[in-house]
Amino acid sequence: MNRGCDLPMDSYRLAHYSVQVPCYVCDGGNTFDAEHCRHCFAPMALAHQSNTQKVRPQILAVLGTSGAGKTVYLGMLMDMLSRQTKPLQVLARGAFSISLQQRTAAALSQGDFPAKTPNEPDRWNWVHCQVRSKYHRRPVEVIVPDMAGEAVLEEIEHPRSYPVIRAVLSKCAGVAILIDAMRLQAGQHDQDHFTMKILSFLSELERDAKRSWTDRPVALILTKSDQCDRCFDDPEAFAKTHAAGMWQQCHERFPQYKIFATGVAGACAFRHVLGENRRRIPLRIEPHGIVEPFDWLIGNLRPPRG
Amino acid sequence: MTRLREIIARWLVPAVGLVLIVLGWSLSLPAVAWLGAVAAAVWLVYRLLRKRREVRGGAKARSTVKPSQGASPIVQLPSRKRPRDESEILVQDMLDQGRYALLLRPQIVENITEDQFRLACKALEDGMALVPSGQVVLGLRDEALDDGRLDEHQVNKYDGYVVEVDAVFLDRYPVTNAQFQQFVEGGGYEELALWDEDILAAMLDFVDSTGYPGPRFWRNGHFESRKADHPVVGVSWYEAVAFARWCGKRMATDAEWTKSGCWPVTLGPGNWLQRKFPWGQAFEEHRANIWSSGWGTTVPVHQFSEGMSVGGIHQLIGNVWEWTSGSYGRGEDASLTLPVPMKSIRGGAFDTYFENQATCQFQSGESPLSRKRNIGFRLAVGAFDLTSRATGIAQPEVHDQVPATAEEVTL
Repeated sequence: MNRGCDLPMDSYRLAHYSVQVPCYVCDGGNTFDAEHCRHCFAPMALAHQSNTQKVRPQILAVLGTSGAGKTVYLGMLMDMLSRQTKPLQVLARGAFSISLQQRTAAALSQGDFPAKTPNEPDRWNWVHCQVRSKYHRRPVEVIVPDMAGEAVLEEIEHPRSYPVIRAVLSKCAGVAILIDAMRLQAGQHDQDHFTMKILSFLSELERDAKRSWTDRPVALILTKSDQCDRCFDDPEAFAKTHAAGMWQQCHERFPQYKIFATGVAGACAFRHVLGENRRRIPLRIEPHGIVEPFDWLIGNLRPPRG
Repeated sequence: MTRLREIIARWLVPAVGLVLIVLGWSLSLPAVAWLGAVAAAVWLVYRLLRKRREVRGGAKARSTVKPSQGASPIVQLPSRKRPRDESEILVQDMLDQGRYALLLRPQIVENITEDQFRLACKALEDGMALVPSGQVVLGLRDEALDDGRLDEHQVNKYDGYVVEVDAVFLDRYPVTNAQFQQFVEGGGYEELALWDEDILAAMLDFVDSTGYPGPRFWRNGHFESRKADHPVVGVSWYEAVAFARWCGKRMATDAEWTKSGCWPVTLGPGNWLQRKFPWGQAFEEHRANIWSSGWGTTVPVHQFSEGMSVGGIHQLIGNVWEWTSGSYGRGEDASLTLPVPMKSIRGGAFDTYFENQATCQFQSGESPLSRKRNIGFRLAVGAFDLTSRATGIAQPEVHDQVPATAEEVTL
């Protein structure tokens, strides 16, 4: 005669709530069921994965101005590495890690670039993956956020407006800075100035000598290089000529840096869309120099501390 | 030890001669001094003659290994008798250079011998494939060709249009480095009649990596020795057109190029069966050299023979993009603005990432002055432009087929 019924064990739930789960990026406390960190808006999935799989992923930051090509670069990189085994093999951890490559590949295959990354950190794509390479005996766990260029600039100009960016840059084991080679070639100095700002920000962010940038790799990646041949032929000389300030600063402050040239679209055109300004579209996709910077960064990563 | 022996053998005679001269001079024995002088003189003459023979022999040896020799890895001409007069030498040279299409023009064919005519016909048959006349649907989006069947409704829905194409011969393979070397050595870059007047100013930039006239990635006017049968790359659209004129052919139109790959069959009025790839509807990695095939660079033109079209044309898909005579982005898409006027390229290359961008239908564009490492070309010649004796196709009395756009008939 007894009719069974399921009652949630609220006391058990409350116990869970009482234990704070630290965010993997900013270490701020969060409830166990939070989707994003309430302090920095980084996905809490990173923290849960780190705890359950007993791994300490290293963070790689990808920086650059709005429109420099961060999303395309990261999306293409992940898509290419997930389709091949050499020189690096990448296995995504968690479904959220595949969203970026899915979004990028879908747009590029249809002859369009992916939409601009929004400024709100809770809408950014994060990639957590396991990387197997010839440089490390054991696989390396890496987290790479796709941060909005405008948000990065805002944080540099007005510190603490985006806590997640500061947290990422403080913790990161290496940085890739993307620079629009087409704009450099056109004589626009904003790319040079922005990169100098980032480099200055990075060098002053970490005052602890043990965690200075002496042993952390900085990859300077000249994007859209397929549109300027000289950049592909000799990226270092191109950077010296067209971004002398950046090159000088990097040369002085960062012992471990290297300049790369990459390109994704073989040629581009502009499409007029009703209600929008004209939009740049790729006429075909032929990636060049995408894997090399990431390969170099992984090769120069130091083992995580603690 | 061997080296010591060589030195002794080489310098013994002059040394003895010198010793005799010195002895004869110092001992006042003129006969001995004269003997020494004669020995030294004989040795000097012998050395000079030997040196001259070595220089001649070296030049001869070099000329036998010139990369231009046997320029076409595809068109192997049968061995020939020694030419008799100047005109025969000229014709033979043209055959050797792969300029057989010029010889088969109705205006010229009467001036060549029967033997030469047979050789030219053989070269045409080996080097080019006939694409029959008929209709082809262009400008379609990918999804329209998923099952290969098309009707008028689909053509309209997916922004397609139908083009009538005359019978045309298309190169079986992309133009190779060895073939282009013939053009460079034949003075193609100096022969101004081959080039558009508008482009003469830019011709100074059409040099290789060492400043010699030639494709961008060559050195000292030559291709990399192991790449004789790779498609020539690093050539602008204008260089391709000049090469075409030199060998009596022309660039293929977009419609001709597409028709040769997707080999459409007209099932009835307003109904077509048309392939997405030369071999069928789905991409297969072992049939074409694109990014997913994993080569990462160009391969010889006779590789990937499994990707051959129905008509026997190789590597339409993958390896290198191919210039066509058409312009990119004209008419079909009014919302598109190009940074520079572009020429149409087709087929995808070794670095094309997405398979849907390496179909027979897909068209991309590139500045005609670009000299990229993944763009080459192949040539065409209209079947009616050659003598019917060679093609077996009779000239139509009234030629009423109108090409899709005026652009497509321009060279």
